[in-house]
Amino acid sequence: MAEFTAEVFQNEYLSDGATDVHAVVSITCSGAGVAGQTGSGEAAEVIIIDTSGSMDMPPNKIASARRAAKAALNELIDGTWFAVVSGHSLAQMVYPTHPGLARSSEVTRGEAGAAIDRLRSGGATAIGSWIDAATELFQQAPSSQRHAILLTDGKIEGEASGALDEALQRARGVFQCDCRGVGDGWVVSELRKIADTLLGTVDIIASPEDLEADFESMIRTSMSRGVADARLRVWAPQGSQVMFVRQVAPTVEDLTPRAVQISPLVVEFPTGGWSDESRDYHVAVRVPAAPVGNERLAARVETVVNDQVLAKALVKAIWSIDTDLTTRIDPAVAHYTGQAQLADVIQRGLAAKSAGDDRTATVLLGEAAKLAHDSGNESTTRLLAKVVDVVDVDAGTVRLKAKIDKSDEMALDTRSTKTTRVNRQP
Amino acid sequence: MSSTGVGDVACPQCGAAIASGDTFCEACGTALVADAVAAAAVAAVLAAAAAPVDPDRAGAGANVSVPGPCVVCGGVIDDDGFCGTCGQKARTERDHWIESPAVWVGGVCDKGIVHSGNEDAMALAATPFGDRTDARAVLVVCDGVTSAPHSDRASIAAVRAACAALVAAPPPAADDPFPAQLDHWQRHLGVACAAANVEAVAVARVLGDPPEPPSCTFVAAIVAQHLVSVAWCGDSRAYWIPDAGEGEELSTDHSIGTELMRAGATREIAEADPASHTITRWLGADSVDPTPEYVTRRLDDAGWVVVCSDGMWNYASTPQALGALLTEAGADGATGPTALAESLAAWANDQGGHDNITVALARHERQVP
Repeated sequence: MAEFTAEVFQNEYLSDGATDVHAVVSITCSGAGVAGQTGSGEAAEVIIIDTSGSMDMPPNKIASARRAAKAALNELIDGTWFAVVSGHSLAQMVYPTHPGLARSSEVTRGEAGAAIDRLRSGGATAIGSWIDAATELFQQAPSSQRHAILLTDGKIEGEASGALDEALQRARGVFQCDCRGVGDGWVVSELRKIADTLLGTVDIIASPEDLEADFESMIRTSMSRGVADARLRVWAPQGSQVMFVRQVAPTVEDLTPRAVQISPLVVEFPTGGWSDESRDYHVAVRVPAAPVGNERLAARVETVVNDQVLAKALVKAIWSIDTDLTTRIDPAVAHYTGQAQLADVIQRGLAAKSAGDDRTATVLLGEAAKLAHDSGNESTTRLLAKVVDVVDVDAGTVRLKAKIDKSDEMALDTRSTKTTRVNRQP
Repeated sequence: MSSTGVGDVACPQCGAAIASGDTFCEACGTALVADAVAAAAVAAVLAAAAAPVDPDRAGAGANVSVPGPCVVCGGVIDDDGFCGTCGQKARTERDHWIESPAVWVGGVCDKGIVHSGNEDAMALAATPFGDRTDARAVLVVCDGVTSAPHSDRASIAAVRAACAALVAAPPPAADDPFPAQLDHWQRHLGVACAAANVEAVAVARVLGDPPEPPSCTFVAAIVAQHLVSVAWCGDSRAYWIPDAGEGEELSTDHSIGTELMRAGATREIAEADPASHTITRWLGADSVDPTPEYVTRRLDDAGWVVVCSDGMWNYASTPQALGALLTEAGADGATGPTALAESLAAWANDQGGHDNITVALARHERQVP
């Protein structure tokens, strides 16, 4: 049985009249076991491979995608339900041939591999229809832990605008989906929307030959998620407002729009499957001010699996006139506020750049360079260095590079949400 | 004089028993500096103590919720001690409690208004009757340092250790002259203060040695055989308030306020200085000097020994002011030490309750010649 622990980092002291409470809640799962075998129901995987016409240009894209799909199959635990879907102007079954899921075994994986070898490219990129196909497949199988990989190399075409949004509405809560874009012809915002809605990750695989290792790793991670679906349950007092609940490590993800009202004072946020891992959440609540000397609970954050509370964290508010206490900023809250801001300025900076507003882009990416440097976020610093030349990191002064590789820009965009962990040393 | 139990002291070098007052070990000749004697006695006190109790859970002043609905909105208190509707923390026993070990000894320890928690602690003990020759009252008050988290744990652990040590201390010989009695009680007060410090340091150890270790002040008074003997460390105080005549502040704060007064400032000016409450001695892992100062006084007249934290004396610092409050409370019908202490604490809350308030009293009746 998986175990969860929750730890709170906050300064609970508020000055007289203050109302806003910020806390970082660190949740750790251990003993998760493996997918489909720890009481969370059976596991199912769907692998969606883009076989649109562009996958042949260059031809090593489709070849690499075939190898990656087969490598992914090899990571499936025996007994896992699975299917391979080819996506072009519509979604087409690769394996099994009838619309349904097969049980993973040496035999079925071998048959699926042979079918994958016969994949050829041609047609458009109707991603909405691919998502719909996966939703239908998952709903047929007696599984409760459902995960998909979606690989594409292009932007959506060949289906009505709005088709993706509608498909995502149907897919929400049915399965989790990790999205990968190969090359630089796809659109970050499209895949990010899918990953955000379906509780998955998004990343760029610039070189097709790197797909294989990435697919293996994605399935390994999925198979290690013995907890199918954990939710964050947040209680906040009467008259208060949960301003935001944001995952801040290992990546920044705003959970606020996912809130589901459970009762007048309780909301829940789905967080998807868990392996043995740790995630940090920044919780911000606006509470009614209480007189100095009072202590109140500002939020109770619980980890809920199958309607059982497995961990609990208390976020408190204590009103005080002691400015030594009230002016302290918790280091974890400060660090993750900075990391969220870093992701935000990068995404806005790149948006400004693609809109042709180089001045705004330069200012925002300069701010990003400073934030990344100051917080020791080395991977983001490296990604930024491929897009801008840093003139003065302390002042946040940068120059856009004269020639920027498009895939570097996309990598900075997709990976801007990766955060560094706060240093917990006192 | 031979004694048994926790008062025993062994030579730190060879382990031989050491008689009270010896400065060299009779067995091995090791010089017994005061610290070594105290350390050995503290070790004996702690070794004799029962299994350690969780200061948050056991006994008077435990950090457990007082049952009942939320005092703010009437909502139901959840298992974790907070109101399920408005989030208000339920009142705990630690927020306000009284101790009345005998009719002549009592006290109150109260959160006050402005502080969110009660970092003061109090431990009282007394023989049933104050007029017997073997009468003894023990009053211990520690004030946790608010700026150091978990000082409430340090203070309650400290008062309990000191009170236990003073309860266990043997009486002096009945025919001992005053200087010998003074020496006897100050020695045991020293042991009690050291035991309190060991406990306060132990809380820091349990918490993993935080950068700002929990710490507290210390004041302990023994009332026995017509004398009061006081040891203190920091700015918690002891007073002698006779029914008639001038009262006395027995202790002298270890604080910047005292330094200012020594430099010539009046009490009013010194106590109004924002730095006056900065203490120069305290107990805890980061204490530079946890040794107490002592004072012992003969008691001839009828009156009250008062031990209190700064949450009380902030509003009535002089013995005259404190005496007037006691007179007023008595005139309002408060009788007995606990009722008087409750009255004083309520008055301090009426003045704003800016700090935790602890007041403990022991009655002394006039010596019948």
